Amino acid sequence: MRDLVHIIELEDLLQEANNDLVRQAKSEGKRALGYTCNFMPEVLLDLPGCFSVRLRAPKSTSPDIATYYMSNRTCMYGRCLLERAMEGGFNFLDAEMATETCTVTCRFQEHLQMMDVIQNPDFFCEFTDVPFKKNENSVQHYMTQLQAHVLDKLSERFGIDTSDEALMKAIEEHNEVCRLIREIGEYRKLDVPTITGREFQIIQLATLVCPKYLILPMLRDIAEQMKTREPDEKPAWRCKVVLTGSEEDDPDFTKLIEECGALVVADRHCYGSLPGREDIVVEEGERPLRAIARHYLENSQCPRFMEQHIMRERKEYLAKLAKEHKADGIIIAQMKFCEYWSYERTIDTLVLNRDYGIPVCSIEKEYVNNAVGQLRTRFQAFVESIELKKLAQEQKASGGEA
Amino acid sequence: MIYKTNDAKEIKLFTKGWLKDLGLKEAAAAKIEKLKTTDFKQKAAEAAEKIKKLDVKKAAHDFIYGKPHEERRLGDLYVPGTGLYKHREWRGVKDTMYYFNMIWLYNYAHMVTDIMKYGGPVTALKGALRYRWMGQCYLTVMHWFDRGLEGTRGAALRASAWHYRGMVNESIRQFMRMFAADKRFNNGEANELWKNTIAHDETVSGNIFYGWRDRMDDVALQMIPYFVTCHVNNHTVLNYIDAAQGIGLPADPCPMCQAEAGIFVLSDVPDYSPVVVTTNEACDGSVATSVLQDWFLDRPLYAMPQPMRYDDPLVQKHCQEEIEGCWRFIEEQTGQKMNWDEYVKHAEAFNKLNEFEHEKWDIAANTDYYPITGVAQALYRIYYSQDGDRDIWHFVDKKVRRIIEKCVTQKINSFPKTRHRVIAWSCAPLYYSHWCTWAYNCWGLNCIINMDSLMFDQVLRTDTYEHAIEDLAWFNEKAPMRTMAVGGHEHIFMLWDYMERFHCDMVMMYDQLQCKGMQGIHGMFEDEFRRRGIHAIWMPHALPDKRTVSRGEIRQIINDYMFTVMHEEPLDPTLLDFDDSDSW
Repeated sequence: MRDLVHIIELEDLLQEANNDLVRQAKSEGKRALGYTCNFMPEVLLDLPGCFSVRLRAPKSTSPDIATYYMSNRTCMYGRCLLERAMEGGFNFLDAEMATETCTVTCRFQEHLQMMDVIQNPDFFCEFTDVPFKKNENSVQHYMTQLQAHVLDKLSERFGIDTSDEALMKAIEEHNEVCRLIREIGEYRKLDVPTITGREFQIIQLATLVCPKYLILPMLRDIAEQMKTREPDEKPAWRCKVVLTGSEEDDPDFTKLIEECGALVVADRHCYGSLPGREDIVVEEGERPLRAIARHYLENSQCPRFMEQHIMRERKEYLAKLAKEHKADGIIIAQMKFCEYWSYERTIDTLVLNRDYGIPVCSIEKEYVNNAVGQLRTRFQAFVESIELKKLAQEQKASGGEA
Repeated sequence: MIYKTNDAKEIKLFTKGWLKDLGLKEAAAAKIEKLKTTDFKQKAAEAAEKIKKLDVKKAAHDFIYGKPHEERRLGDLYVPGTGLYKHREWRGVKDTMYYFNMIWLYNYAHMVTDIMKYGGPVTALKGALRYRWMGQCYLTVMHWFDRGLEGTRGAALRASAWHYRGMVNESIRQFMRMFAADKRFNNGEANELWKNTIAHDETVSGNIFYGWRDRMDDVALQMIPYFVTCHVNNHTVLNYIDAAQGIGLPADPCPMCQAEAGIFVLSDVPDYSPVVVTTNEACDGSVATSVLQDWFLDRPLYAMPQPMRYDDPLVQKHCQEEIEGCWRFIEEQTGQKMNWDEYVKHAEAFNKLNEFEHEKWDIAANTDYYPITGVAQALYRIYYSQDGDRDIWHFVDKKVRRIIEKCVTQKINSFPKTRHRVIAWSCAPLYYSHWCTWAYNCWGLNCIINMDSLMFDQVLRTDTYEHAIEDLAWFNEKAPMRTMAVGGHEHIFMLWDYMERFHCDMVMMYDQLQCKGMQGIHGMFEDEFRRRGIHAIWMPHALPDKRTVSRGEIRQIINDYMFTVMHEEPLDPTLLDFDDSDSW
């Protein structure tokens, strides 16, 4: 396939947190607001006068100082973020809008509070409590928290306009980003998709780490080009897979999967678009903040949710994704030391195969992709097993021996 | 059946030639040969020499009152590998008799009478044969007493033993209720007890269910199968951890959650309730295990999460509504209405327990006359405050109050060899919760208080519904391993305030290797210890899993610190190193 317009530029933007577009927005006087978890609604951080940056630590190697502080038995994502912060890589941040949604990122953010790591006199770190359920009580609670710990703080500290009108404007811009991402993502559902998993991930990640208003023109160009983009005559992939799991912000990991012959057609992980890029719908008479709170709770598929029907629906959601995207299997990738995904991966591995008949490749990985050899072997074997399964099914269908 | 000989030879019993393989004949011949070659005259002469040298007055004193601390040589009592005693410790006439009559006999007798009282021997036997944790732990209970009470004398022996008695009684009551209601023992049919029992995660406090205690009972799913058994027989839990990993769970999540998941994987929890209530306490692992619980239990489930940022005033309403949601769920599922008067009755009774706990803390903090060992203090407090109001706790507290009052009025120091007042912080190794008994006997390290004891520090007001629900929410937010561990670093750093309050000069810093919350703040503690000049011993462990860091390794770490950093000598050098790897 021909190169996607802007894809190299977008890839460059992912090489460091303080990228060109972040610097541009800062030079325009906007406040950079960091966050780590989807439960900190990016739309609130993209109000006029500020912009959201979902934190990543690209090109990390060994997080030695962070390992002293957080030991080598915690998720490497959290440690790499702390290491990057200590190296000065997040000094551009004006605030960290924190959530205690998983232990290690919480501890990382607490270090920012305690240790004067961010060399920015304006910097502050504020925590929001996020509920574990999707009921009305939780929506109310979440809304109260977002008002007090996000909107009020932004207004007090930086004079940001947090009125309903400003929120509506932010929602509008956010929805446009989501619409474009969904539009681009739709091409992954084709029998022969016209976008690779890696390309899509680069685009999706860029929307998370760059100011929205600066990334939008590029998204529009890409969406336009996708309308006429033709697939390769002979595609390089041998099967299609859904990638699910915990934190995943490394396009090279997706590249690794695709090099092994499995095209990633859906991304259900912490930095993915499924779910995450649905429109925020403000119902008639509803406050925009309530709509945002409701949206982020109702749409999330995070293993943090504890209600019985929600736990069960998560499996159905994955199976539905696989069906819609005509995927042959699911790769469940869990960041080592992630407690939530340790259990979720275990149960998904059993249930998706047993109850839905979907082949599953279940792996543990580090944030820094340093076990490429082993992972490559796992993925190659998985692709081969899917091919063998397909072959057996074809033989069975044509009356031959399986 | 396979029998393993002392030289590690495995013999299949009751198969052809097994008697011969046992080598009884050869062993008997060797004994006879040894007797033949023994010089009895010389032995008699040696014995006579010993008697001549004997300080009769001191020997008589030691016999009557027990040996002084430094001469006890408790380590010599162990049979290598087993942790069992070659012979029991002589504590002086009075204390040895007390131990034999009021601890051994009394508790053995009550272990029988309690069974009779709560359902009878047939039910108990069915449970012992069906459930591994019951079969493996019931008869090792008295060894649990031995380990926790080693070296104790007088008031410490008595007061600590009463705490153990309370825990044993409540454990029997709970597992007998589980067995009596168990569908598996009733041809898969639900009996009345099944219909009237509420199952809940062990980290959901029993006080949530006070409103039904006049008609129903609430029994924690994992409290007995997992938590209690870890202390009583530390081998049992390993099987559950392995089972959880056997279905694909990685080895690094919190081993407590792994073990709790493992009991469900192996169907080793009785089927005793139509419903289950879960929670997010204490951590991510607890949330994540809910998925497995739901999968294995497959029955109506209510998740009752507590907010993480719990001291934010804005979260309280949300928390209260979740508790009320739980009550509605129970009413809907069981058809039984909550009885408010019953709630008030138990909440007020529980306040009495908490009041006494405060008195205990006050004495522990400000005097040398607190007679309870670190392990008895910790386990009892965790157990009763998690379980909620029960008659047995009041019975025990009455006994203990009398002992404590005597200690204070007569200025009896039960731990006179204390060199350092220690506060234990974070979560303890369950397979070596009695480390504090060893540390006092060997080094004079007296564990005054521990983090888990300080949880649930909340009075439950009952004057109005609003006050009651407000306090109940707070109570549950201050749950074990949680109140200090989540909601901001300021909670875990309350250590410094508590050190001051309890006049401690040393920290035993539990280093639960698989606790992400504590590992995630490890370096900050290191920095603070250095900055404040505090002696802290990091005690690595994996909660219930002794395979990661053994008891022996824990002792070695403490020994090393005491020798090399503190430059101190042990009170009882025989306890420095001994092999209890196969001990219960």
